[in-house]
Amino acid sequence: MLEKNITLESPSLVSLTCEFTPSGNVTLVNVTWTRGTELMLRSPHAVFADNTVHAQYQFSIINSKQMGSYSCLLEGKQEQRGTFNFKVPELSGKNKPFITYVGDTAVLVCKCPKCLPVRWAWYRSNGSEQVPIDALMNDTYVISGTHSNKTKLKIKNLREEDGGAYWCRAEFQLGQSTDQLDLVVLSFLVPLKPFFAIIAEVIVLMSIILLCEVYTKKKKKHPDDGKEFEQIEQLKSDDSNGVENNAPRQRKK
Amino acid sequence: MAGRAEPPDGGWGWMVVLSAFFQSALVFGVLRSFGVFFVEFVSAFEEQAARVSWIASIGIAVQQFGSPIGSVLSTNFGPRPVVMTGGILAALGMLLASFATSLTHLYLSIGLLSGSGWALTFTPTLACLSRYFSRRRSLAMGLALTGVGLSSFAFAPLFQWLLDHFAWRGALLLVSALSCHLVACGALLRPLSLTEDTAVGGPRAQLTSLLHHGPFLRYTVALTLINTGYFIPYVHLVAHLQDLGWDPLPAAFLLSVAAISDLIGRVASGWLGDAVPGPVARLLMLWTTLTGVSLALFPVAQAPTALVVLAVAYGFTSGALTPVAFSVLPELVGTARIYCGLGLVQMIESIGGLLGAPLSGYLRDVTGNYTASFVVAGAFLLVGSGVLITLPHFFSCFSAPTSRPQELVIEVLDTKVSLHKEEGLEEE
Repeated sequence: MLEKNITLESPSLVSLTCEFTPSGNVTLVNVTWTRGTELMLRSPHAVFADNTVHAQYQFSIINSKQMGSYSCLLEGKQEQRGTFNFKVPELSGKNKPFITYVGDTAVLVCKCPKCLPVRWAWYRSNGSEQVPIDALMNDTYVISGTHSNKTKLKIKNLREEDGGAYWCRAEFQLGQSTDQLDLVVLSFLVPLKPFFAIIAEVIVLMSIILLCEVYTKKKKKHPDDGKEFEQIEQLKSDDSNGVENNAPRQRKK
Repeated sequence: MAGRAEPPDGGWGWMVVLSAFFQSALVFGVLRSFGVFFVEFVSAFEEQAARVSWIASIGIAVQQFGSPIGSVLSTNFGPRPVVMTGGILAALGMLLASFATSLTHLYLSIGLLSGSGWALTFTPTLACLSRYFSRRRSLAMGLALTGVGLSSFAFAPLFQWLLDHFAWRGALLLVSALSCHLVACGALLRPLSLTEDTAVGGPRAQLTSLLHHGPFLRYTVALTLINTGYFIPYVHLVAHLQDLGWDPLPAAFLLSVAAISDLIGRVASGWLGDAVPGPVARLLMLWTTLTGVSLALFPVAQAPTALVVLAVAYGFTSGALTPVAFSVLPELVGTARIYCGLGLVQMIESIGGLLGAPLSGYLRDVTGNYTASFVVAGAFLLVGSGVLITLPHFFSCFSAPTSRPQELVIEVLDTKVSLHKEEGLEEE
C-alpha cells in the first residue's frame, strides 16, 4: 500500500496520477477514486500492452472541506491502492519549556519556515479552555507579526500566574494548525536555594581542610614541648611538607 | 634555616594534584563549555554570534595575560592566598553576570573579572605542583591536567541541564557557586619552602634573570610557535568535517573520540615522562612533531576511517604534549623561579594562541578550504619542535638536574655572610 503526504496551504488545482500493474490477464479494469470513505469517481480503464493502467483524477481544492486523504483503488482479485494525504503545513511542535523569572519579559515565538499563514492568533489556557489573547485590551501583551511567517508574543512584567500553556494558531485558507508553548515563571528563591547550599558546602570543605592543617601542626609541635632551648630540626621524610616561612626559625646544633 | 633540599615527590603533593585537578576542571572546563551559554545569550540579548563569542575570548585573554601577575603575587605571598583570592574573583564575576542587562555587562563581569580570577588561580597552582614533585613531576602534571578533559565532558551536559531548569540567570548563579570550589582548592595549597628559594630573591630579580636566560627564551619561542598551531583543530575541525559532507552528529562523535584519546594521552605521557631517563624536552619534541605531522595529514585524509585514525592520533599526541610542556620548565629555570617563569611563558605563548585561529580562518577565506590552515598549523608545530633541539642537555643521556641558578647563589651567599657578621647573630 503506497502513501504520499502533500502539504498545501492555498487553493489549488490538483491532478493525481496512479499507475497500476494489474494481476492476471485482463484488458479492462475499474479504478475508483475516494476521499476518505466518500466515493468521488469510478471509471473503467484500458490495460496497455505493457500491462500497466494509468489513472488520473483532476479536481480543485478551495476550502478545508476538500482536504483529506484521497485514494485510487484498483478493483480486482488483488486490490491495489494508493493514498494521497493533503494537509496544511504543520508547526514545529518540539519546543522546550520556556523558563523565565518574575519581573522579566518573555518573548514567545512561533514560526513556519516554509509557509505564510493568512493570520496568526494566540491563546492561553484557563483551566481546560483556550482563551484568546487580545493585545489591544491588555497592554502587558504585545503581539507582532500577525501576517508574516513568524509571530511573537511579548509578555511584560511577568507574574507567577502567567505561567502555563500558550497556543499559537496559524490560519490558512485551507485549514489551521496549532503549536503549544509552555511558559514557566520562577521566583528568585528557586535558584537561590541550591546556591546557598553549595556555598555552605564550600565553607564546610574549607573548614575541614584548615582544621586538619592546624591539627597536624599541633601534632608536630608536641614532641618539642619542654625542649624550647634545644630545638632540633627534624626533616621528616614521610607525609609532611616543609615548615612555613613564618614559623619560628629553628637553629641547627 | 627553614626549607627542604628536595621536593617531597609525594605525601601532601598528591593533595596538590587533587587541587590542581579540580582547578583545571573549574577554569578550563567552564571556559570550554561556555559554548552552551552561547545560544542563550544570542537570543536573550538579540546580538550577533561574533559579538557574543567575545565573552569567552576576553576571558581567555585576561587569564593568559594576567598570569605573570599571579606569578609575582605568589612569589611574594605564596600560592595559597593568591589562589583563594582568584577563586573569589572568578565566582564574583559569574555572580554579577547573572544580573546582566546587556552584553557589555557580560564582557566586564565574565571576561574581565572572572578572567582575572582565573589568572590568579591556574598558573600559581601548576607552579606550586611542580615544586612538590621532581621524580614524578610529569605524572603529577598529567594526572592534574586530566581535569580539563573530564570536565569538558561533564560540564557541557550539566550546563545544558542548568539552562533547561533555571534559565541563563539562574544557571550563571549556580556556576558562580560552583566556582567557589576554587577557593577550597586554594586552601589545599600548603606553602612549601625549598632551599633554593632564599637564593633567588624577589620577583623583580627573578623576572630579570629569566629574561636573560637563554634556554628560557628559546623555550618560550618554541611554546609560542606550538601554541599557534595547537588550537586550530579545536576551532576548525567541525567546520572542516562539514565541508567534507559530514553530518553534525558523526562530527560531534569524532570530536568526542579525539577528546578521549586526548585524556589517555595526557596520563600516558605523564607516566612516560617520568619513566624515561634524560631530559623531558626530548619527549616534548617527539609529541609536538607527531602532532604537527597528524595535523598536516588532515587535508590528505578523505575516507572516514582515515579521519578517525587521524583524530585519535591528534587527540593522543596533543594531549601528550601538555603535561610534558609544563614539566620542561622546572628543569630549565629551577623550582624557585617557577612561579614567575610559568607566568611569563603563559603570557607570551598566548600571543600564539590569539593569532592562530584568526590566521587559520583567514587562510580558509582566501583559499576556500581548510587545507592551507591545517598544513600551516602543522608547520608551526614542527618549527616549534625544531627550536626545542636548541635546549641545553638535549642530547645527554642523563636527566638534567633541576637547575639551580649558580651565579645568583654565590652572590647572595656572600651578601648573607656579611649581614650575619654585622648583626652579630651566632653561627656555628
